[in-house]
Amino acid sequence: MGRVVRFFRRAGVPAALLGAFLALAGCASDAELDTLNPQGPYARTIDNLSDPVFMVAGVVFLVVFGGTGFLWWRFHDDYSDEEYPEQIHGNFRLEILWTIVPTVILVVISIFTILTLVDISSNEDNAMALSVDGEPTMWEPEVVVVGQQWWWEYRYYFGGLEGVDLSDQRNLPPADIVTANQMVIPAGQEIELKITSRDVIHSHWIPALNGKRDAVPGRITFWKVNADEPGVYFGQCTEFCGLSHSRMRMQTVALSTADFQAWVDQQLQPAVEPTDAAAVAGRAIFEAQCARCHVINGVNGPHDETPSTGADLVSNAAPNLTHLMSRTTFAGGIFNLYEPNGNLNRPQLEAWLRNAPAEKPAYAEGRRGMPALGLSEIEIDNVVAYLQTLGTSPSIGIIAATEVE
Amino acid sequence: MSEPVAELTSGGGAALPLGVYSRPKGGGGWRDWVTTVDHKKIGILYGGAALFFFGIGGFEALLIRLQLATPNGTVVGADLYNQLYTMHGVTMVFLVIMPLAAAFANYLLPLQIGARDVAFPRLNAMSFWLFLAGGLFLNFSWLVGDAPDGGWFAYAPNTGVTFSPGHGMDFYAIGLQIAGIASLVSAMNLIVTVLNMRAPGMTLFKMPVFTWMILVVQFLLLFAIPVITVALFLLLFDRNFGANFFNPEMGADPLLWQHLFWIFGHPEVYVLILPSFGIVSEVIPTFSRKPLFGYEFMVFSGIAIGFMGWGVWAHHMFVSGIGPISIGAFTLSTMFIAVPTGVKILNWLATMWGGKIRLTASMLFATGVVSMFTIGGLSGVTHAVSPADTQQTDTYYIVAHFHYVIFGGALLGFFSGFYFWWPKVFGHRLGETLGKWNFWLMIVGFNMTFGPMHILGLNGMSRRIDTYSPGFGFEFWNLFATVGAFVIAFGVLCFAMNVILSARRARGLPPEPPDPWDARSLEWFTPNPTPVHNFDEIVEVSSLDEFWHRKWTTDENGRVVRRATAAEVCQTGDADDVHLPSPSYWPVVVAAGLPLVGFGLLYNLWICVPGTILVLIGVYAWVFEPPDDPDGPFGGGHGDEGHGDEGHGETEESASDESAPQEEAASVE
Repeated sequence: MGRVVRFFRRAGVPAALLGAFLALAGCASDAELDTLNPQGPYARTIDNLSDPVFMVAGVVFLVVFGGTGFLWWRFHDDYSDEEYPEQIHGNFRLEILWTIVPTVILVVISIFTILTLVDISSNEDNAMALSVDGEPTMWEPEVVVVGQQWWWEYRYYFGGLEGVDLSDQRNLPPADIVTANQMVIPAGQEIELKITSRDVIHSHWIPALNGKRDAVPGRITFWKVNADEPGVYFGQCTEFCGLSHSRMRMQTVALSTADFQAWVDQQLQPAVEPTDAAAVAGRAIFEAQCARCHVINGVNGPHDETPSTGADLVSNAAPNLTHLMSRTTFAGGIFNLYEPNGNLNRPQLEAWLRNAPAEKPAYAEGRRGMPALGLSEIEIDNVVAYLQTLGTSPSIGIIAATEVE
Repeated sequence: MSEPVAELTSGGGAALPLGVYSRPKGGGGWRDWVTTVDHKKIGILYGGAALFFFGIGGFEALLIRLQLATPNGTVVGADLYNQLYTMHGVTMVFLVIMPLAAAFANYLLPLQIGARDVAFPRLNAMSFWLFLAGGLFLNFSWLVGDAPDGGWFAYAPNTGVTFSPGHGMDFYAIGLQIAGIASLVSAMNLIVTVLNMRAPGMTLFKMPVFTWMILVVQFLLLFAIPVITVALFLLLFDRNFGANFFNPEMGADPLLWQHLFWIFGHPEVYVLILPSFGIVSEVIPTFSRKPLFGYEFMVFSGIAIGFMGWGVWAHHMFVSGIGPISIGAFTLSTMFIAVPTGVKILNWLATMWGGKIRLTASMLFATGVVSMFTIGGLSGVTHAVSPADTQQTDTYYIVAHFHYVIFGGALLGFFSGFYFWWPKVFGHRLGETLGKWNFWLMIVGFNMTFGPMHILGLNGMSRRIDTYSPGFGFEFWNLFATVGAFVIAFGVLCFAMNVILSARRARGLPPEPPDPWDARSLEWFTPNPTPVHNFDEIVEVSSLDEFWHRKWTTDENGRVVRRATAAEVCQTGDADDVHLPSPSYWPVVVAAGLPLVGFGLLYNLWICVPGTILVLIGVYAWVFEPPDDPDGPFGGGHGDEGHGDEGHGETEESASDESAPQEEAASVE
């Protein structure tokens, strides 16, 4: 009996240490990028696979580490005599044993790994009913994700991607919705992502929903996300992509089906004509300055008639601003567009318009990132007034949930 | 006399239009070092240069950790940060770990196989000078304020001219190219040495495991370096001559670079780790006072790792979109490379089992390798699980993983080797007390720095970010890791102090008596420090651990009894009739030309002209220099003044390697 207790006590030590490690790993309460806190079926499948592997690895480690410590303690030389210990050159059976045991452990892990790989690589048809411009549509949820230095674009084609030519990433066919840095999805739906890039390699990663997938220029990579519940899930570019790699962040906002429909209806509207004098002046500045790179549907886009003349940037694209105010972050997901009370975060937006490279490192002179435009303070005020007319602000709940920094 | 003399000789003049070049006669001091072809001096040069670069790479690491100590850090800007982390990686991989392995290999491999030098001593010198030239060329980029900023992995197209318009990535491509020649030449040199120059009786399976691991590594280098050479040339042509190998705008696929880089890069991991495995396999038996458990299994598992290392490269690309079939295949191959590695670890533990373990500083570091590398190996298995890797890759979890492999595995092993072989190389031991401080500070600091990175990675902290925002739960462990990095720095400082203090203490004292550790392999036949000619007479080998078996035998009860004392077995080192290869000016001249060619490619093609001329002069004079100083029959030597005329005998085969035909040419005089 005593022996059994000792055994369990011994086995309990590794388990407790491992538990402590996992608890430490998961302890941060506001860890929005935590990989051990899955919020969707894919992330959960991965977590269910990796947790037991961590356990196995932890036990093996404790055996080796404990073994080393034990050997130190048990077999250290007390220098009492010069006698040599028994000279053992090896043991064939033991060698075979400890070749086979790790092999068996790894075979078991491999089987589960391959099964999981097949599982997360398979597709299911799950079209959802959606009304697009009042037309009932069956939408196979898919989003085209485009990385560029140093922000993300999300493009929605409600007619499906059959026949949509994505091969020239710098001149993609016009989409129904083009937004930036916040991917809006219906909760409980499997969303297929077609990921690509307009310049260098990036990697799209929403840890709570799935692992990551690279955005490779010239290639379309496939990935999926699925959120159990409506909510906001944080992400970060994870492939080194140059100067502001650390400032290339994104969020996924999962909405209920009804809220998603409302968001789609809103996004399909072109920009409204401004009436306020400052906003009208701001629009003129936009057309003279900003429109070289940015698009506002109904002002200088979408380019459904003539192909884009090309933004004055290496990536040939800057965020589409038609519904800027419906988003809550800007500049690659690093600044809040709103204050917690729902008011516009005016100082930050003005600072950005005044001298963007000072706010976020970029190679504006190398046509990458937003340059300093040399606007006067009045011009900045007018542009801000115009930008405020673009789209409707989201609920205070979304603003709170998406707050960064 | 230090200047080369181009003199027309009466006999060979017609055949050699620019004359015969005399060989350096030493002259003492720095000249001996610049012109040396002695494998031991070259080993020391490798070690010294590697430790110099270790200081630079460590300083870069401390700046990185300072920047990341707090959220929104402002110690360095994004641009400088990207240069720092790139150069930290490049320096530690190519300019610290690889040359440290070369230092141990150069010094010990000829000694362990009972040879007097490597097969091609002048090429060996050239390898060192090329490595140094490449390393200095790379670091010169700091002085022009334009260090490489695309990561050591240099993923295209971020390293193309559009996205990296400065000269940084050119320094990277050319610097690594030059250092790569060094590795390739030295790989061939050491392979030939091991295969052809072993002492009589030393069959392959009587070679020490260290020599075996170095041999495996040289084969890995022989096949891996050409791949990176091709990749670097393509990058260079893309950047400088408008080629489009990696330019997606012209239809290239940027994954080509990743495949080329990792087909080199993964075997490279074993290039970094296997030498340390070899060192540990020498140190643990010595200080456990037992033979290595399962010698054949240790050798074969090393060979198996070498082979399997070629079939796992795409596990670096699990998220790059290579498709589920490839991912599945590379998942399996990666999984099973853990088996031979596990066999090694269990054999080390079995060697210690039942031993009488002497916890010297060297042994502490060796057992440190066993346990710390295990962590790196096990976290490796967790990313072989490819679905899990989609969460882990490019996070700090990976940073933790490979530091446990390269720091915990390779670097700690080299420190074990320092403490073990220091008396052999310098004639005195390093201090044990400071050595233990060195070990404990390093191992504690190491775990403080890189242990928490597992947690940071699983909490979602991306790699290669120059800063992070508060609120993601990254603050505490980053600060903790930064403190740990400085604890490591104090550990390294202890080592530096130990080197200085032990040398000072040893001044004026007689050198360490032979065999300070009751060791097992051939290098301990020589006195400390190793005399210039290594062995007075070449040892006849009849068993593995020949040196130990000359000292000890077993009686009829199986007890180990002394057969002879070390002093009786060891050679005295006073042979004075040994013929050795003469030093040469030309390896360093050839090596000096290549960086000039590199600067020419960067700044003005005309600078290539003097560089090329220097290389051509070096090669020409190399070919036409006599085998020995023309003034003496076998002249020059390594400052061995007393060599006699009859000094050929049995040593000829090991020393007259590269110049047999020329020997006749010289005697025409």
